[in-house]
Amino acid sequence: MSTVSILIKRNTKLFFKDKGMFFTALITPGILLVLYATFLSNVYRDGFTAGLPEEMTLSEDLIQGLVSGQLISSLLAVSCVTVAFCSNFLMVQDKANGTVKDLRISPVKSSVLSLSYYIATLLSTLLICLVATGLCLLYVVSQGWYLAATDVLLLFLDVVILVFFGTALSSVINFFLSSQGQISAVGTVISAGYGFICGAYMPISSFGEGLQKVVSLLPGTYGTSLLRNHALQGAFAEMEAQGVPVQVTDSLRELLDCRVDFFGHTVSEPMMYLILGGSVAVLVLVYILLNALKKPR
Amino acid sequence: MENIIEIKQLNKTFGDVKAVQDLSFCVKEGELFAFLGVNGAGKSTTINIMCGQLAKDSGSVVINGLDLDRNVDRIKADLGVVFQNSVLDSALSVYDNLESRAALYGIRGAAFRDRLRELSDRLEFGSLLKRSVGKLSGGQRRRIDIARALLHRPKILILDEPTTGLDPQTRKNLWDVISDLRKNEGMTVFLTTHYMEEAADADYVVILDSGKTAATGTPLALKNAYVGDYLTLYGVEEGVVKGLGLNYEPVRDGFRIVVQSTAQATELILKNPDVFRDYELVKGKMDDVFLSVTGKKLTGGENK
Repeated sequence: MSTVSILIKRNTKLFFKDKGMFFTALITPGILLVLYATFLSNVYRDGFTAGLPEEMTLSEDLIQGLVSGQLISSLLAVSCVTVAFCSNFLMVQDKANGTVKDLRISPVKSSVLSLSYYIATLLSTLLICLVATGLCLLYVVSQGWYLAATDVLLLFLDVVILVFFGTALSSVINFFLSSQGQISAVGTVISAGYGFICGAYMPISSFGEGLQKVVSLLPGTYGTSLLRNHALQGAFAEMEAQGVPVQVTDSLRELLDCRVDFFGHTVSEPMMYLILGGSVAVLVLVYILLNALKKPR
Repeated sequence: MENIIEIKQLNKTFGDVKAVQDLSFCVKEGELFAFLGVNGAGKSTTINIMCGQLAKDSGSVVINGLDLDRNVDRIKADLGVVFQNSVLDSALSVYDNLESRAALYGIRGAAFRDRLRELSDRLEFGSLLKRSVGKLSGGQRRRIDIARALLHRPKILILDEPTTGLDPQTRKNLWDVISDLRKNEGMTVFLTTHYMEEAADADYVVILDSGKTAATGTPLALKNAYVGDYLTLYGVEEGVVKGLGLNYEPVRDGFRIVVQSTAQATELILKNPDVFRDYELVKGKMDDVFLSVTGKKLTGGENK
């Protein structure tokens, strides 16, 4: 094994052995599940049925398919980012407890250390999020399955690209942190805040106009939208097949953030992928530059 | 012996604080070098500069013939450091810790396993390889710290207060290991410590005070230069001791007289053979040297 792979093994093992970091990563998805169990499920259900013409009723399966689609897209949208942050906190923890001194007194290149943190975070987050995606899909099967094979594949692609985004974003932000207090602060902000700003707790369409514009500037918003599109596409198609007017499904798509406007322009799916991919590239470049320009104090 | 470390006019400031001021000293190859000072005296700053962790403001650092400014990576390969507090990953096993640290020096696979076997035999931790570092006792953990520092066969072993917080038996065991390393591998040991009896065994001592060199020399030279000897006299009346005309203090079963030097003690004994029938002469201790040089006491990790 190369030096990088041994360090990746070390970082990954530490993340999974540190129960604090691991469970912190699951706080936001946990909050969402509690909210869902207590009232979000009913809110989602009412949201879907309220917009239907009076004479039209949908099967319970289809409604459950919609509700579970919204739930899993929200869960995955937050998990990909919060798990990445918590996994990448190892970089900060190494600084806070002095371990980084032990790593840096060796002749190993700083880029090797940075790369090992990045890849370890990517692998840990991918592992957790792909397993979570599998579990989410099993849940959808139990509730009402309307997804096409393409939707499932695209859902996995969305998760992978969001994990790349979460890893790159957390690498840049965590680069500036160096103490346990900062880990707690950023961890709390991310856990509590990201669920809101990415539209996991409440659809972005329900935010005020100003906030919607701000949120449209954040690349993560498009990740949520992609997940929503692919988790709900099958159910919308079924609704239309059962005679629900396209205007109704269109307004539901808008309500559930399947469509996101960027200052008046609707952003297409390929553009969303481009925005996320571009953001990952820019963030990785910033991370590389930060490491390259860092000098001993 | 050649100089393995040469530091000249080293300066480092943090804002308004002058952490190291015009510091110059040399360490000879194979010697036990003690670097003493209270917390904040500049010891850690100097070590961090030597290890390439901090940039210096001015001065030169040459280690094993290599200039730090141009060869920091090659110098890092020559240094092994045991930090004051263990910085290994407590959640991981001893094996995983040493494997990841060895990889930092390019030691992997069979080369790592061979070196691990060698070190575990020497430091007797073969039975601990699968245990989590966090579950080891202080002494066991210290042995692993030393093994980590020795993985890449460094020429210089830097020990930053290695025995602080350890019980006397574990401290003794660690020093046996270090003495063995010096004897068998000719390793240079650069030591900072709060235990003056450890510094007393050093070949050369530098005492730092407020970032500056306050005194340098062998322990014997420092004792001779900065503190007197203690002559303890037994089985005599106080009036007899008073008659010698020197400062004294009563101790259990006798009186302790402070003399300026061994020569003065010899002269006194020869002049008063009837008085000095039962006595002992003890040189001043390194604690006294430190107190005399800096006006501060260095005790067990705290300044007094």
